[in-house]
Parts: sequence; C-alpha cells; structure tokens
Amino acid sequence: MASAAPRFTLERIDGDPLSLDALTAGGPVVLVFAHADCPTSALALRRLAGLGQGPAGVALACVAEETPEAASRLARRTGIRFPVLAEPAPFEVSRAYEIATVPTAVRIEPGVGVTGTAAGWDADAYERLLGASLPSEEPRRKPGCGARWTYEAAAGLDELEDMIERGWSDGLPVVPPTPERVETMLGSRDGAHSLGPVPPAHGVATLERLAACAVLAGCLPRYFPVVIAAAEAALDPGFNAHGIGVTTQPAGPILVVNGPVRDAIGLNSGMGALGPGARANMTIGRALRLLLTLTGGARPGGLDRSTLGHPGKLGMCVAENEEASPWEPLHVERGFARETSTVTVFAGDAPLSVSDHRSRTPEELAATLAWAAAGQWSPFWWPMDDTSLFVLCPEHAMLFGAAGWAKEQVRAAIFAAAQRPAGELRRGETTPLVQASADDALVRKWTQPELIEIVVAGGEAGRFSAVFGPCNGMQAEVVTREIQWST
Amino acid sequence: MEYVSPIDDSAAEPVPFAPRPRELGGRRVVLLDITKNRGSELLDRVEQHLRLYGAETFRLSKEIFSKPASSEVIERVAIHGDLAVEGLAD
Repeated sequence: MASAAPRFTLERIDGDPLSLDALTAGGPVVLVFAHADCPTSALALRRLAGLGQGPAGVALACVAEETPEAASRLARRTGIRFPVLAEPAPFEVSRAYEIATVPTAVRIEPGVGVTGTAAGWDADAYERLLGASLPSEEPRRKPGCGARWTYEAAAGLDELEDMIERGWSDGLPVVPPTPERVETMLGSRDGAHSLGPVPPAHGVATLERLAACAVLAGCLPRYFPVVIAAAEAALDPGFNAHGIGVTTQPAGPILVVNGPVRDAIGLNSGMGALGPGARANMTIGRALRLLLTLTGGARPGGLDRSTLGHPGKLGMCVAENEEASPWEPLHVERGFARETSTVTVFAGDAPLSVSDHRSRTPEELAATLAWAAAGQWSPFWWPMDDTSLFVLCPEHAMLFGAAGWAKEQVRAAIFAAAQRPAGELRRGETTPLVQASADDALVRKWTQPELIEIVVAGGEAGRFSAVFGPCNGMQAEVVTREIQWST
Repeated sequence: MEYVSPIDDSAAEPVPFAPRPRELGGRRVVLLDITKNRGSELLDRVEQHLRLYGAETFRLSKEIFSKPASSEVIERVAIHGDLAVEGLAD
C-alpha cells in the first residue's frame, strides 16, 4: 500500500533546483538517499552508475545529505551521471521521508505516492524498484549507515554512539575528536605534516589524522610524542605494516617504550605491565591500532583478514622496567643513548605466559623459556624465521644477572636449548628443512639467536615471564624510533 | 557536531574488475606464483587446464608472499599477459 510522498525542491549539483513534481512528471522516480561518509552509499552509487542516466521508464536521482560541494565530490567519486540533489543540514527531506539508514532507495509513483523502499544495499530489492537489471557483482547485500539527521537528533545526547555509527572505533567507546581536542593534542605541530601513506589502503597519515586517532584512543596530549614515534616506526617499510595488516595470522604491532619518557607520562613498567590499568599503556598502543585501522583501512573482516586476531591487537604498549634489569635496556642495545627515549615496534602474536618458580640455575631457566616458546607459531614448525619477544619478569632477570649472565648469553642459551631431532618434527605443519633432514639431525626452533629479543618488565614479586610469538614469514624488521619530547 | 576525521577520503577507492574474456584461445595468461608454500603445485595444475583451452602461459614470481609485488613484477605481468592468475594461499 502506498504512503504519501512529501513534496520538495532541492538544489541540483549541476543545474537548477529540481522538484519532486518535475522528477515525477514523466513517470515513476527512484530516489536514493546517501551520504559521503557511508561506504555502503558509495557501493550502491557505484553499482547504479552503470545505469547511466537511469533505466528506461523510471527516473533515478540521488539525494545526498551533503552540501552541494560535498555532493559533487560524492558524484565524481562514484561516477554517477543521474541527477544529484544536495540536501545540507537540517536534512528536512530525509526527515520527512523518515530515512533512518543510507543508502535507502524510495520508489515514488506520480499521483500514488511511495510504493516501495529498500534500506542499505540490496541488489535484488533495487532491481525490483528500478525494474532493471544491475551488474551481477558481489556483494549483493550490505548493511547501510545511519542517516545524517539521525546523528543530529542524537548529538549532545549520545556522541559516543555517533562515533560507532561512523565506524571510528575498534569496537570500544572512543573519545570524539572535536577540533578543540585535536588541536590540543597537536600543540604547536603542523597538522598537515605527513608521516606517509598507511598500508594497506594508503590513506595519508597527517599529524592531524594521527592526533584524531590519539584523541579517539583516549590519549593525553603528553602521550602524543610517543604516538608519533610509534607511527613512524610502524610505517617504516622494513616493518611491513602491509603484510601484518592484511594477513590471516593473528599478529599485531607490539610497542616497547624505553627511556625517561616512561616515568614522565606515567607508563607502567611494573606490576601488570602487559595488562590493563595504566592509561598511557592502553591508549598509546590503541592510537597506533586506530591509525592502521581507520587511516590505513585495515579493518577486521575488511582488508584485515586475520582468522582470529588476538586481544593485544586492540593496542599493546610495553614499557621496559629498566630499573629492575641487570642489563642494558633495549634502546641502548640498539644503539641509542640511555637518556634518549625510544619506541620499538615488533610484530607479535598473543603473549604466552611462562611460569617458573623452581629453576635455580640460569641453564634451567633458559630451557624453560625456550621450551615454552618452542610450541609457538606451530609446534612442528622448526625453525621460525621471524622475531620472538621475551618479556622477562624481574625475578627471572635477576636469576640470570646474579649468575653473571649477559643478555647475549641468555639469548644463546634459549637458542641452544630448543632443538629436536627432525624425525620427531615430521608431523602436520612442518618446514622444508625438517622434511629434508635425516631423522636424527637436530633442528633448532629459530634460524638464528638474533631472532630472540629480550626486555624486562613486570612486578618485583612472582616468577612469570612471557613470550610474544612472531608474525612468521613476514620478514618484519624490528624498528626503533627516537621520541621527540620535552618535559 | 563537527569532528576531525581520522579517515583519508582520497585513499584508494576499490578498482572494478576488468572485463572477463569469453574465450581463452590465443590469450596470454600470466601465472603469478606469490611464493607461498605449494602455490606452484596449484599453478602447475591450472596451467595444464589453461593450455587445454588454447591459452599461452607465462610464469612469474613475486619476491616474497607477505609483501606487495614490486612495480617491476606488476609491469612484467602487464607486458606478458592479457590475463593473470595468482596462486594466493597454501
């Protein structure tokens, strides 16, 4: 049964204002309500672009919830040639038609009214409304986005829902990036400065967009220098953010922060260092993840093809407990001065906890750590050829330190301990090396000891260390960047 | 309410598929091995079938599966092929 079709006149992006009466003068019209921030709107318009001016006997027009300039950009971007009507705020036509979702197609018969609607992208329903065939491309269906006037109705009441509607989230609530908050995050920095394209979709990481991500993540402005250095490290081509961003593996970036900045901004390197509780740790890692997801387009289920993912992909930022370590901290090991502050990025799997409250010698403890890591990636896949990151708790580190072991010795001992005869490894997923080796030939878990990185973090009591398995096969280099900051 | 968008609207839009040919006879088909484990075995079988249909085949490899193909590889695919088949995963 038909319902009334409210009359309207709207500005056409490339001509005189157009009324509903004019659109229906020659027969039925299908109006497609859309806006530029909605990927499903863009998908629908691209599919409809193949119809040229529209199918025979039915007029076709887009009502874009945009200013005329933004509506023109949307038309260019999607290649549509049928009329586009700009409907800027307060979106009276969308309200009058009670359009909750974009895209929504509405068929109007002259003298009758609205005879059919289709919300979101639904190729079959659109074909019925238009009485014409569309290209048989996937996807045939896709849910739409909230219409703009529904945001406005919610504004002030529920900004947080607005952020989720826009897709500016990792699934958790975010802080809305108002111009004031983004400006405060940026400080005196040039928002237009570019850190380069972010794989896989190659959106450009301007400092303004990065600041927007930092605001969304919940960062305080004093964390921003760490976020910038983290983004610089992750965008270094050696890190292979493209491969890590799109792989079916679960891995994500793991940040390690060193130097005086840790205390200055309140990073927790002590009790619960890998877990929740400290705003700086939680939000810095999250800001980088949001940059990769939103600016870089690595959305889970979209370009991010990770089969399972892992909880640390929300953001993982570890501060090294340099004060509890018997060794040089990671950044000094990597050639930076101790008083410098740095971020180092690894590609890592979920951390595996390693309990050892019984070992009394460094050899025993190194073996425990090695055999815990030996099951990572896949238990019969020996050797792995990317980096594993061991996070030693202070008590474990002290056991090695008290025995006079340098970090290099710990690395060598872990490397040497994890070896097995090839004959025991020829099962399931195994390597060409294992397949080619004699039964009694010993194979190691890593191709070289340098793939074992060690940092110290955690509380003073308890003998639980952890190891992040690698993003194997990615050739993801470990990249360190200096943090430009001042107190 | 006005916000600063974290999204770059000018970032690459999806590229539509090229039109598919109706016949394979006389077509040059590049078989691109991305170097994933056993991908070449799949491509061997695909190659046999393509030849049965009269296609001329040409094998190319990416440098490493986990990174985008270099511009040189992409250029060679374009030079040597009317069509390309990529062996994606193991």
